[in-house]
Amino acid sequence: MPSRFLIRTLLALTLACFTKQAGGQQGGHVIVGEPEPTELPQPGGMIQPPANAREVVIEALMSTDPAEQAALVRSLLGSGDPDAVGLLTAWREGYIYYHDDFEGDRFPVRFDGEADGVGRRNVVRLDNGEPVPGVGGQPMRATENQLELAFTDSRLRQAMRSVTDMAALVADNHNRRLAAVRGIALEQNPDKIEALELRLPLEPSRQIQREIEVAIAMSQLRLPEREIKLAACRELERLTPIPARDTLRSLAREAETDGDDELAAAATDALAAIERHITRVNAAGTVFRGLSSGSILLIAAIGLAITFGLMGVINMAHGELIAVGAYTAYIVQCVFQSGLRLSPFGYSVAIPGFNASEGWFQAYFLFAIPLSFLVAALVGLAIERTIIRHLYRRPLESLLATWGLSLVLQQLFRLVFGASNVQVESPVWLSGNWTVYGVMFGWNRVFVIGFALLIILVTYLFLNRTRFGLLVRAVVQNRQMAACMGVRTERVNMITFAFGSGLAGLAGAFLSQIGNVGPSLGQSYLIDSFMTVVVGGVGKLIGTVISAFSIGMADQSLQQILLNPVLGKILVLLAIILFLQFRPKGLFTTQNRSLEE
Amino acid sequence: MKEKTFSRTHLLILGLLSILLIVVLPVANAHGYISNFQLNTWGKYLCYAMLAISVDLLWGYTGLLSLGQAMFFTLGGYMFGMHLMLMIGRLGSYQSDLPDFMVFSGLTTLPSFWQPFYSFSFSMLMVVLLPALVALAFGFLAFRARIKGVYFSILTQALTYSAALLFFRNELMMGGDNGFTGFRRLFGAEIRSPEVQRWLFVATGIALVATYVFCRWLTRSKFGLIQQAVRDIEARVLFSGYSAAAFKLFVFVLSAVIASIGGALYVAQVGSINPNAMTPDKSLEAVVWCAVGGRGTLVGPIIGAVSVNAAKSWATQAYPDLWLIMLGAIFVLVVLFMPRGLVGLPAQFAWAGRRINAFIQERRGRRPNSDDDGNDGGDDDSGGPGTSRQPPDPPTEASAMSDPVPADPPGDPANPHARGQTEPPLTPAAQPQPRRTSADPDPSTP
Repeated sequence: MPSRFLIRTLLALTLACFTKQAGGQQGGHVIVGEPEPTELPQPGGMIQPPANAREVVIEALMSTDPAEQAALVRSLLGSGDPDAVGLLTAWREGYIYYHDDFEGDRFPVRFDGEADGVGRRNVVRLDNGEPVPGVGGQPMRATENQLELAFTDSRLRQAMRSVTDMAALVADNHNRRLAAVRGIALEQNPDKIEALELRLPLEPSRQIQREIEVAIAMSQLRLPEREIKLAACRELERLTPIPARDTLRSLAREAETDGDDELAAAATDALAAIERHITRVNAAGTVFRGLSSGSILLIAAIGLAITFGLMGVINMAHGELIAVGAYTAYIVQCVFQSGLRLSPFGYSVAIPGFNASEGWFQAYFLFAIPLSFLVAALVGLAIERTIIRHLYRRPLESLLATWGLSLVLQQLFRLVFGASNVQVESPVWLSGNWTVYGVMFGWNRVFVIGFALLIILVTYLFLNRTRFGLLVRAVVQNRQMAACMGVRTERVNMITFAFGSGLAGLAGAFLSQIGNVGPSLGQSYLIDSFMTVVVGGVGKLIGTVISAFSIGMADQSLQQILLNPVLGKILVLLAIILFLQFRPKGLFTTQNRSLEE
Repeated sequence: MKEKTFSRTHLLILGLLSILLIVVLPVANAHGYISNFQLNTWGKYLCYAMLAISVDLLWGYTGLLSLGQAMFFTLGGYMFGMHLMLMIGRLGSYQSDLPDFMVFSGLTTLPSFWQPFYSFSFSMLMVVLLPALVALAFGFLAFRARIKGVYFSILTQALTYSAALLFFRNELMMGGDNGFTGFRRLFGAEIRSPEVQRWLFVATGIALVATYVFCRWLTRSKFGLIQQAVRDIEARVLFSGYSAAAFKLFVFVLSAVIASIGGALYVAQVGSINPNAMTPDKSLEAVVWCAVGGRGTLVGPIIGAVSVNAAKSWATQAYPDLWLIMLGAIFVLVVLFMPRGLVGLPAQFAWAGRRINAFIQERRGRRPNSDDDGNDGGDDDSGGPGTSRQPPDPPTEASAMSDPVPADPPGDPANPHARGQTEPPLTPAAQPQPRRTSADPDPSTP
């Protein structure tokens, strides 16, 4: 399981790199005077050195023939030059003027700077960006009425729009291109088909290619020709894009009223294919969400599985240990930024920050992970030494004392960090997502799943492959006998509890990336964690793993089916109560001959 | 043979306190000696006391730490609240026959399950019946599977949690987040008027006294003995042929009903109820009252509920930021150092005093002649042969308080049955006995 995710991650990363490189080369300038397929350059090989897009625009501005203007603008298609896009947008929106200077030269200009009392502003040449010299060498100032506006006709404007759309399509950034294509698909503007078709063979990313095809097909539905519509329906049936549903539905209705059975059938077929696709995507999404919420449960519960499952201590402050980890991550983040100012009990404490550069700041989480573990483990150690040590033989009372402790800790968080949630930023490498066949995989979720498995592995190795783990298991199985054999059970208890608390801290560091960090963070996970451990059975980690994933899956699929998260949660709790009828000790139990446990 | 449920002095004190509660305080209020606000506050405390008794009946006497008592308390409140909501009639802000929150969520007719709650007696019946049924269903499943100890606590906690989630939903038509509030009338009278509040206080007092008397009788009966045996050694009860599950189920249902009645009275006096009162934290708070007062006694929970809540009322105003820290710290300290709570404090001090005394005596006795094996002739306080000679721990104050507590929960100090076997050092009455038995043969022979 972990290896598959690893491979997927690697694949995605390499893909992203490739996209970036290829996208970088896309910035070229392709002259496509008449859109002929034969003239199109092949993807990957750029044929022409990019001419200066600004010059082309100015040439177009200077031209007096509208047809030539349109052709020149059109020649910029496929250029990602932001300069040209800016100029064209300004032109279209009426910000560009002509100026005839004293020598009779005519050149395009724009306004710059603040308007003075009579509405005059500086005039700047468009070609070199220098101020136009006015009377007496002073920079020329003029109002808008004094200059001649650069006109556009409808054909020219369409060409401009194609160029600007195309510019978004050739952006370096993969996500920007994706967003642009999706936006165009939703617009369903048949005018943009041209730009899209031009771009399609050049696009290096498979995913975006697919999206472009979708956008083309969806825009084609708006064309009047019946044959094209039919072909577009077939195309959509193949591509199954979810946003196409509404259009297809209205198309099917229209075709039915027009009596065009073939088209109506094609549209309905495409719709059915999309619906099937949605069902599959939802199912896959549910499985993924189930896995990820199971992992969250697992991470939150694994510390409890140690302290409660192995040691039999009911630690109601477990949730607060999670919060300790989360707040540690917050502090580390603040220290990497500009520091942090706290005011507990009316004192003011300032923690200076490193003001780390962006790259270093992205790495803060790597420091936060071990620190969260350490801090929570130390807090756990203190709790064990002061309170729990006295209550090993009174489990119910350890429940009460630790609950009192959890109240104290919660209020301390509130006093130190404030009652509202604090902001923990995810590093960039945790905040993206990637979409495979319509199923969105958030990186942080994938990371949590991987991390949960890693924690389990480490814990397993710690308990089963180290000498200390052996002692822990011995104490769990038979405390007195272990003591008789010379195991210092007190010390084992202490370290085991600290280890379990540290795991809770780790959980906190990760949960800070997923949910809110606030004083009552731990409360929301506590009951679920306890249920997980109870269902899993005491004393075996594998039980906790299985129960965490089954509860997560059951929760998410019930939510999907019932469309009501609360009802799903309640049903899961009831199911757990019923489950305990059949296995009161949980899924996995350690065999024991004693009467009372 | 069987100990009387109420000794004469006990009866006297109980009678005096009941009269104080049911007659004197309301009368004093009617004549203006006690403000309405104070009476109302005390009424609230008494409702909490009923909740605490219900926790104690389960935890102190049966060894079941239920974290679901707040749910039963709130359920009772909701059942009575439904009646009170309907009694608002057209006095609500929408001037509709429906409760305001229903108008707000776009309902035009009353949901059918609300209809019967126009009747006061039906609503009272539901106060008893609904929590009893929930407790019966849950308890049946839990006890049949022999879920006990910590598992029982965790499950009841989950039950409360899911009930709270359910009541937070607007779809349930129970007011959602805001619950019920804005009550106007009870039996046609203005519910906020001092007279009605006074009568509610009297009703609460009567309910509390009745609950106390009933529980005292129950725990002193044979049933109570088995109940406590279940707490101490369940396996032995099972082997003796008793169905421990049935006993536990009965106690669970009973305490659910007690909590529910407390909740119903609470709602009428406080004037609002919402799902926040159902969260597991509230149950744990009730457990705190019980522990602070002294579990395994029936007076303890009452004292605990009143004192902790009085302290809370004071501290939430005086130290709003620190109150939770205080509550938590009190709780940790009580669990660690006062396992018997306030009620057990005198016995604890007496015991610690005796231990120190014995230690000093031993020191004094040893130094002059170390080979002498204790003096026979002297005082009664030197204790039996075993107790003073082998102290398992150094008799410092702290360890003397924390260590002698056995694995099983301590019993009622007034009831020698509960703790006679488990804790010899705490029972002064038990100490002369071995002496007399050892001395018995001598007087009997002539």
